[in-house]
Amino acid sequence: MADKETVVGSETRISGEVRGEEDLVVRGRIDGRMQLTQTLTVDKGATVQADVDVRHLVVSGTVIGAIVASESVKLTSTARVVGDLASPRVIMEAGAAYRGRVDMGDIAAARAAVSSRAVQRSAAGEKPAIRPAPPRMATAAKAVIAGKAAVPVAPPSPAVRSATVAAATAGAPGPAIPPAFPRVAGAMGAMAPAWAKKKIRRR
Amino acid sequence: MGNTVIGSSIVIDGEITGEESLTILGTVKGKISVAQNLSVEAGATVEADVEAQTVTVSGRLTGNVVARERLDLKPESKMVGDAKSPRIVIADGAGFKGNVDMDV
Repeated sequence: MADKETVVGSETRISGEVRGEEDLVVRGRIDGRMQLTQTLTVDKGATVQADVDVRHLVVSGTVIGAIVASESVKLTSTARVVGDLASPRVIMEAGAAYRGRVDMGDIAAARAAVSSRAVQRSAAGEKPAIRPAPPRMATAAKAVIAGKAAVPVAPPSPAVRSATVAAATAGAPGPAIPPAFPRVAGAMGAMAPAWAKKKIRRR
Repeated sequence: MGNTVIGSSIVIDGEITGEESLTILGTVKGKISVAQNLSVEAGATVEADVEAQTVTVSGRLTGNVVARERLDLKPESKMVGDAKSPRIVIADGAGFKGNVDMDV
């Protein structure tokens, strides 16, 4: 028998929810949701597409999803990560690829946001994704942040508009958004831009 | 080593698929499909339909099992569900409830 450490081997895939109170090493693939009280290690070549709530996270592979780590996150030089990240200690090595928001402050609020989104998703039977919008929408949201404007500066493309309308329709009445994540909410319905809401009413 | 181990404090709710061996010391609910061996160790709980080359149970397994080569119920093991395998070994002390299909 192998050692006691939990390992998801390179040829193994888990889809669903993983909870535990020990270290876990992923060499294969996990889709869904992960909650560990210890360290999650995502090795090179491994993929985790899940909302992740752990103590320590060490990524050398790929992680797609919202990340909450109560102590630390380390992205090594081979890491590829997409998703918002909340942890008091965040270490990114040269070569790491990351897209998302980093919050080293209010971990509790981030955790609440992640879990409420997970509940929403499971109720809707949706697959986990970092944001309930396609990449284009994420780009638009980023532009808004950069411009520090409350509404998009330019008229959105049809694809973005329809995506937002869909998100606004699905998201109503919308979850309680912690103040630490005001922009995330943009894609979630409750804080959908005014033009998106108008669009719904007109239909 | 490319095997997968699910530690004793780990709870998985969902589906596990793999081309390698899987050792479970914790809890798995859902569905398991592995190309090689599945080992349900003492103290482990599995509530899942299982498909594997060989299945060895020392813990507790609830669900239907298809073992393409061999199903081994060790002493102290408890299994509830239908078992389908060409070779089935039930050790003295094992608990089993369900149908047995050896393809005869």
